[in-house]
Amino acid sequence: MSSKIDKFERFVHSLSNWLNWVAGAALVVMLALIVADIIGAKLFKWPIPGGIEMVGFLGVVVIAFAIAHTQVMRGHIEVEFLTTRLPKTAQKIVAGFVYLLGMALFALLAWRSYDFAHALQVKGEVSMTQEISFYPFVYGIAFCCISVFLVLLIQFFRAVTQVRQ
Amino acid sequence: MSPVTIGIIGIVALLVIFLLRMPVGFAMALVGLVGFSCLVSPEAGLSILARDVFHSFSSYSLTVIPMFVFMGSIAFASGMSRRLYDAGYSLLGRLRGGLAMATVAGCAGFAAISGSTNATAAAMGRVALPEMKRYGYADSLATGSVAAAGSLGILIPPSTIFIIYGIMTEQSIGRLFVAGVFPGLVLATLFIIVVALVCWRDPTLAPTGAATNWKEKVSGLTGIAEALVLFALVISGLFLGWFSPTQAGGAGAAGALLIGLIRRQLTWQGLLGAVKDALRITCMVMIIVTGAVVFGHFMAVAKIPLMLADWVVGLPLPPMATMGIIILIYLLGGCFMDALALITLTIPIFYPAVLALGFEPIWFGVIIVLVTEIGVITPPVGVNVYVIKGIAEGVPLETIFRGILPFLGALIVAVGILMAFPQIATFLPSLAIY
Repeated sequence: MSSKIDKFERFVHSLSNWLNWVAGAALVVMLALIVADIIGAKLFKWPIPGGIEMVGFLGVVVIAFAIAHTQVMRGHIEVEFLTTRLPKTAQKIVAGFVYLLGMALFALLAWRSYDFAHALQVKGEVSMTQEISFYPFVYGIAFCCISVFLVLLIQFFRAVTQVRQ
Repeated sequence: MSPVTIGIIGIVALLVIFLLRMPVGFAMALVGLVGFSCLVSPEAGLSILARDVFHSFSSYSLTVIPMFVFMGSIAFASGMSRRLYDAGYSLLGRLRGGLAMATVAGCAGFAAISGSTNATAAAMGRVALPEMKRYGYADSLATGSVAAAGSLGILIPPSTIFIIYGIMTEQSIGRLFVAGVFPGLVLATLFIIVVALVCWRDPTLAPTGAATNWKEKVSGLTGIAEALVLFALVISGLFLGWFSPTQAGGAGAAGALLIGLIRRQLTWQGLLGAVKDALRITCMVMIIVTGAVVFGHFMAVAKIPLMLADWVVGLPLPPMATMGIIILIYLLGGCFMDALALITLTIPIFYPAVLALGFEPIWFGVIIVLVTEIGVITPPVGVNVYVIKGIAEGVPLETIFRGILPFLGALIVAVGILMAFPQIATFLPSLAIY
């Protein structure tokens, strides 16, 4: 059982790491696009058509694809001062409960983002200038939420195992 | 149950979940979802959750955050923090406590290219703490000065807190940025005065440093020059209306990248590190902002902000006294909650009340940043203190907090000065030409 969880953990961490690199690539592209837009607009009076909406879409990739890895690194801000004063076992029990709440949130968000993406796909909604479809980005959010759910699931398993020990 | 009662239960539930150590962004989204579902319908709650997340993530105005965060990360990877510190050292190093003064000056300089308190404290702490240790500075003064001066990161523009405040209150980010310039300089001066006073009272805390010659002083100043150029590019671009805030951040990040390449200081490894660092900070900030948007919708349907604004306006107190109470709430909240979480949670609640009392929104933004600065260095939840603790291994937290105390006094004096002379903050924005 333990080795299966280890294997699953490696898979989830590797997935979140890959997603993080996609987010990193999007960040670099976003910077390049903004700089190109400035140069185009200020020097050649020709801003990149739809530059603003493309930067917005890249924002989705930068943020959504980095959530899981940030959770792996425990990079999301938490209020620690109360739980760190509790005994270790109590800390793990509380942590397990909090992971469950987090899993519920991301499961709901994945489900509703999928529904939202599907609705956008059916309606054929696109951005105003470049006519880029919205739905792939919303499907992307749904997928990223599943990966966060998996990270939280692993962290939940670890907390429960430590309480048992 | 009335909407207001459900809203109050929601706030209490949120605080309880915070204390259980759920990431604050997740907690705000979850309570916002449940609260909105109770007041409107589960279908509406779930629908607004997915829409809020997509709209926040894809918001062009919020992409200013990754750009300014990236700018700070690249500046650090390009060795700009080291050169700023060297510049401060060449000018102030000879005085008693000169290294701590140089740290304050270096932090003020790095604050001009970075928008976060912990990034400024971490960047300068990695450079300044080993130096101060080498010269025999007391741990309390060394760590306290970096942790406190690191808080300048959000007052001297660019600033993530000004960006978030600006977006939440629909105020111009450019005006907010320039509003922070004079208060930032006042506060940096107060911090330097604090170092001088502390060293005058107890000269054993900091020995005098070695003298530097003119050549070293001039060479040190090049470290300030590049940061000034970058600062001028970003702030003048915003001030004169050349750039949108996102473009200003992009120009700043590209400028920092260019400086790193010209100086041959930015390695491939350093750039990858900067990308990872920027992603982590951006994600952390954006999750809180998004959570706050969902929670804000719940608060809006619960009518809490309106009710609070009516109540505050009806209080039999002069507006300044009410403002004092609001500041006190922020100070107390800042002791127990992360500053960013506190702001995103409370701005939608307090802002209508502040407007109703007739205060200038830009001025209130600067006050909020100052109280946030106090929040990041007060126990038990002082983010900067933990950042410095991570760098200054072996220095107990109590020592760092002891070292911070005199600087805390300077921050409180700064709040008082800003309340007495609001023009310090409002003068520059009044000159903006757009």
